[in-house]
Amino acid sequence: MNEPILVTRNLGKSFGGIVALDEVDLSIETGKITAIIGPNGAGKTTLFNLITGVYPVSTGEIHFQGKLLGRIPAHKRAHFCIARTFQHIHLFGNMTVLENVMTGQHPRSSYGFLEAALRLLPKARREEEAISLKAMRYLNMVGLGMHASQNALSLPLGQQKLLAIARALATEPQLLLLDEPGAGLNRLEKRELSDLIHRIRELGISVILVEHDMPLVMGLAEWVIVLDSGQKIAEGTAAQVQKDQRVISAYLGEEEVE
Amino acid sequence: MLAKALRKWPYLIIAALLALLILAPFDWFLGQYRTLMIFIGLSTMVTVGLCLLLGYTGQVSLGQAAFYGLGAYFSAVLSKNYYINPWLAMLIAAMATVTFAYVIGYPIFRLRGNYLAMATLGIGIIMWILFRQLSQFTGGPDGMTGIPFLSIGGFAFESSFRRYFLVWGFCLAVLLISQNIVNSRTGRALRAIHGSEAAAESIGINVAQFKVKIFVLSAVFASLAGSLFVHHLRFVSPQPFDFFASVKLVVMAVIGGLASVWGAIFGAGATRILSDELLLRFGEWDVVIYGAILMLVMIFMPEGLFVKLKDIVGQVRSRFERRGAES
Repeated sequence: MNEPILVTRNLGKSFGGIVALDEVDLSIETGKITAIIGPNGAGKTTLFNLITGVYPVSTGEIHFQGKLLGRIPAHKRAHFCIARTFQHIHLFGNMTVLENVMTGQHPRSSYGFLEAALRLLPKARREEEAISLKAMRYLNMVGLGMHASQNALSLPLGQQKLLAIARALATEPQLLLLDEPGAGLNRLEKRELSDLIHRIRELGISVILVEHDMPLVMGLAEWVIVLDSGQKIAEGTAAQVQKDQRVISAYLGEEEVE
Repeated sequence: MLAKALRKWPYLIIAALLALLILAPFDWFLGQYRTLMIFIGLSTMVTVGLCLLLGYTGQVSLGQAAFYGLGAYFSAVLSKNYYINPWLAMLIAAMATVTFAYVIGYPIFRLRGNYLAMATLGIGIIMWILFRQLSQFTGGPDGMTGIPFLSIGGFAFESSFRRYFLVWGFCLAVLLISQNIVNSRTGRALRAIHGSEAAAESIGINVAQFKVKIFVLSAVFASLAGSLFVHHLRFVSPQPFDFFASVKLVVMAVIGGLASVWGAIFGAGATRILSDELLLRFGEWDVVIYGAILMLVMIFMPEGLFVKLKDIVGQVRSRFERRGAES
């Protein structure tokens, strides 16, 4: 068996007196699609924010590919090949679709202020060519190639979500965290999304998704982890988790009421 | 045919503007406005920095005149009181400004929005007070005179005709550098910070560092403009660097269109012509007019007057093209 891509030990986070995550031990397998589910307030997004370094951990530790992430600041984690999308998309509204993805190439390019100011230097020109070429490739991968020169926010919601994924892919991650990628999408868009996530997996990228849409999760995830009130209450394959009594009472039961 | 000419208009306009810029200072053309145009060039240099900071990166500075003043006073004091070569003085001024902007940049950019505005405003006011109070160096509120001209070898920039080309040479270099930065990896990182800091961090952009760097660059542009300013006037006093000067710089950036490098010339030009020629008779009431302009532009054309005009020209052009295609 492969070494897991991400391991958390005793991971906890509290905001003041409120415990958002409580001693969570996780082991995420390399190259698989893992789903994290749980009712609102279960700590799913907090978990993402800890992995990506938005918040410092309160207790415990996170190991990524065997390396301790510790206090590595958020912006360096993209260089470590961890990428994410956001529940609220967070596209760059002051840029075109293509520029959004080109910006994602930031950690894979290096020229800085001086080379940018004196544009004629060969390094800047070479990198710039590579950046736009790769960006176009990721844009085509999510099927937005023909919208390249449009403003990012002129896209409908479904395509905005795909664009956010393309931008995250452009950082060339080994671990991709998707925060509710299916929220607000119609059925056709959800099918496209699930195809895309399968293709991302085929690139060898490990995917963790937080998702409320059960059919989507069941169709995608090879492993499901269930959080409730900041604690891990179950994990297993989709079929196993669906039968787990604690999960049904904590989460799926609630879903049926709706 | 008109449609064809209009399609090439960006190049035509650039060529026309360059010709205008070169011919303007001659006495038989617009020579009487030479001083005004020099000031427009200087203001443009400062405004471009502010555009990069405010328009592209989304970080406000209400103290930009402080860096303009730092450049001016360092150049004035070093070259007059200490007989240092004016070019070297200019370099030292720029380096001192870099150091100062770096040191205050890191703590100040932990703040956002209104708090950042207040902090930069405070720095502007503190610098202005220092210019007034350090009178043993700066000459206090009365200022100092007799600052030498810049010169290269035996060629002194002693006529306003020569200084016009010096200032606009610097100004164009600053504009080109800014244009290059905007359309680069660095420029995208800056715009990303404006778009969403959380997303910028998530794709590996060191938000804090980029904010400070663009702040420092804008300060350097202002400092260079300040140095050129004192070697042009040969006189310096605290008045052009007060709080109101900083506000006027924001007005220039807003009129030019915050996210438009070349709009800075337009913004600086329009504001300078207003303040130096048209609004003089209003005395201190001109503040009210600037306030009104700022409000009207922000409400009706938040993308700036220059960008709005560009859009209108573009619409007219496409209408002509359509008509051309039909006939």
